[in-house]
Amino acid sequence: MDTILIDGLSFALPLFIMAIGGIYSEKSGITNLALEGFQGFGAFIGALSAVLIANASGAAIEDMFYVALLFAMIGGMGFSVIHAVLSIKFKANQVISGVVINILALALTTFLTTQINALVFGAASDKFRLGVSERFTIDALANIPVIGAVFTNVYPFQVIIIVIAIFAWYVLYKTKFGLRLRASGENPQSVDAAGVSVSRIRFSAVLISGLLSGLAGMCFAYSISAQFSSGIYMGYGFLAIAALIFGNWRILPTLAACLLFGFAKSGGMYIAQAMALPSSFTDLFMILPYVVTLLLLIFFSKSNRAPRALGEIYDKGKR
Amino acid sequence: MKDKKNKSLRYRLLWPIRNEKWQPITIPVASILVSFIAAAIVILLLGKNPFQAFYNLFQGAGILPKTSYAGYKSMLTDFLSLLDAMTPLVFASLAVAVALRAGLFNIGVSGQMLASGFLATIIVGYSGLDAIIAKPLVLLVGMVAGGLMGGLVGWLKYKFNIHEVVTTIMLNYIAQYVISFFIHMYYIDPISRQSKYITEAARLTLVNVQIANLKMDIPLGFIMAIIIAILIKFLLDKTVVGFEIKAVGSNRNAAKYTGIKVGSNTVLAMIISGGLAGLAGVTYYLGDFASIQPKVLTSLGFDSIAVALLGNSHPIGIIFSSFLISIIDQGSTYMSSQAGIRQEIASVIIGLILLFSACGAYVKHKVSRLKEKEVERKDSES
Repeated sequence: MDTILIDGLSFALPLFIMAIGGIYSEKSGITNLALEGFQGFGAFIGALSAVLIANASGAAIEDMFYVALLFAMIGGMGFSVIHAVLSIKFKANQVISGVVINILALALTTFLTTQINALVFGAASDKFRLGVSERFTIDALANIPVIGAVFTNVYPFQVIIIVIAIFAWYVLYKTKFGLRLRASGENPQSVDAAGVSVSRIRFSAVLISGLLSGLAGMCFAYSISAQFSSGIYMGYGFLAIAALIFGNWRILPTLAACLLFGFAKSGGMYIAQAMALPSSFTDLFMILPYVVTLLLLIFFSKSNRAPRALGEIYDKGKR
Repeated sequence: MKDKKNKSLRYRLLWPIRNEKWQPITIPVASILVSFIAAAIVILLLGKNPFQAFYNLFQGAGILPKTSYAGYKSMLTDFLSLLDAMTPLVFASLAVAVALRAGLFNIGVSGQMLASGFLATIIVGYSGLDAIIAKPLVLLVGMVAGGLMGGLVGWLKYKFNIHEVVTTIMLNYIAQYVISFFIHMYYIDPISRQSKYITEAARLTLVNVQIANLKMDIPLGFIMAIIIAILIKFLLDKTVVGFEIKAVGSNRNAAKYTGIKVGSNTVLAMIISGGLAGLAGVTYYLGDFASIQPKVLTSLGFDSIAVALLGNSHPIGIIFSSFLISIIDQGSTYMSSQAGIRQEIASVIIGLILLFSACGAYVKHKVSRLKEKEVERKDSES
């Protein structure tokens, strides 16, 4: 039972922070299918800097976690500039731009990983080994029945994510910037009329989504996969998009969607193990999160509505 | 004065893409050229000869002759494998394009391919039917399976307002895991860890056909892919159905006011799109491979989105764009063995081509701006 909570949370939270990035971007009116690419590229930059610094300083790679996290955020943000420039300055179709960025991220990072491994380390390898980040347990709270599991075997990044998520919620709903950002996605003309640059707001929204996706990608690399390789492109970016659409482009319902994914995933694994079925049956239980989502959507998506100006290129002259 | 001169130079440099009528062709071609130049710079930085590399790329794809061939092989056999690899890409890109025209984003081509390929494999692939019945049946099963799965997506969107991106992503995962389960339980080949090979009769690629001292693989689906592309063009441009689908795609509300049934057109577009994805699935899994690897979604379904966009979502454009992408893909192995450049550079080139062609709208806009300025300049001079 505890493992369901522990594993579910450690999967749901990175997904959640990535979905928040998506919400920022889409609320500002920029369709963002590029989350997958952002998280992969961010994780690549993070892993690369961790490996290089650990190599130079002789420190253990597991201790490089915070450094990697920082660089992953910078890397994700840097890569998201492409999406921002293409879809805001170059007025490209935002769906196209997103898909292209995903393809480019996969191609570039696999190419660079093998190339750098060969050049710097003289090894023929297509991955950077990272290991798993250390976990901690809050003893005082861990003994509470059921919810105690929330405080057991926690990855440090989970705390970081929760702090950032609360901050992101505050900025989006309680500040002037957040108001303008949301208005850019509903009625950009009104933002412009108020004397605020729509492009600048949208640009920063996309950069925020890149930053948060990079963070999420690094968390996946340091927990589930314990390495950086092309295996980081598991489709979690798309899952985050599904979560945010499920959550009707609002942060709290999106958290619920992410938790649902996380718990259904870990729960399915747990049931398969508990029933001691042959390993092939695990596959059947793995579909649980997706089937549950589809079923729930049938009941809940009637009232779903995307931001009105989502995907539209802002045209000053338009009425 | 100097500024004016500069502008006119810039204007003159743009001559190849100035003509608006040809822009749908010239802009993609220009972006392809620019990305090859960018790739050449990368290859130069790696200390290799880019011309050599590109030459090897075309040699590997069977466009240019290699210096030596293994027994029973020639440029023709390489070229036929290129067409073999290209066939599912054409179908998959058409699937994406039809959905795009209806304003829908079919991100689930991979899942639809897998489901239809799997069903065709277990229904026909292991049945031992004669080739003359088996091959058409494979196509039919693929089309129906894919069409149903696509139709489901359209129906959920129409009936319950579920965003098609979410549905297709969920169905991708569901198909991937469920099919992996069935393959592991019933159809596994213990040595290859894949599904058992299907009978030759059901395969859509004739393997190792010996003609005049050559052993070649003949992709039967290729001709069909070309015919279907032309049919889709006809459907979209010349029929009422095509018109309605495009009307729904360009403005749902306007279409509704003119009395077009938005819901049924959404479902129909997704059925067609899914059916095409199904054809991609059977030509992929029952063509070259003849077996399915469990728990793997082919990346082809995602690449096809980009290929469709490179071809302007236009059926004929798609034939050319998938030809190009397949060349780069197929030739990369030979290039890496001959020129000593990593194979992954091929996907980087593809990514760059797509990146530059995504800027097409901007280039178009810039060119027309420059054109206006040029007219102004001429006016002020005279």
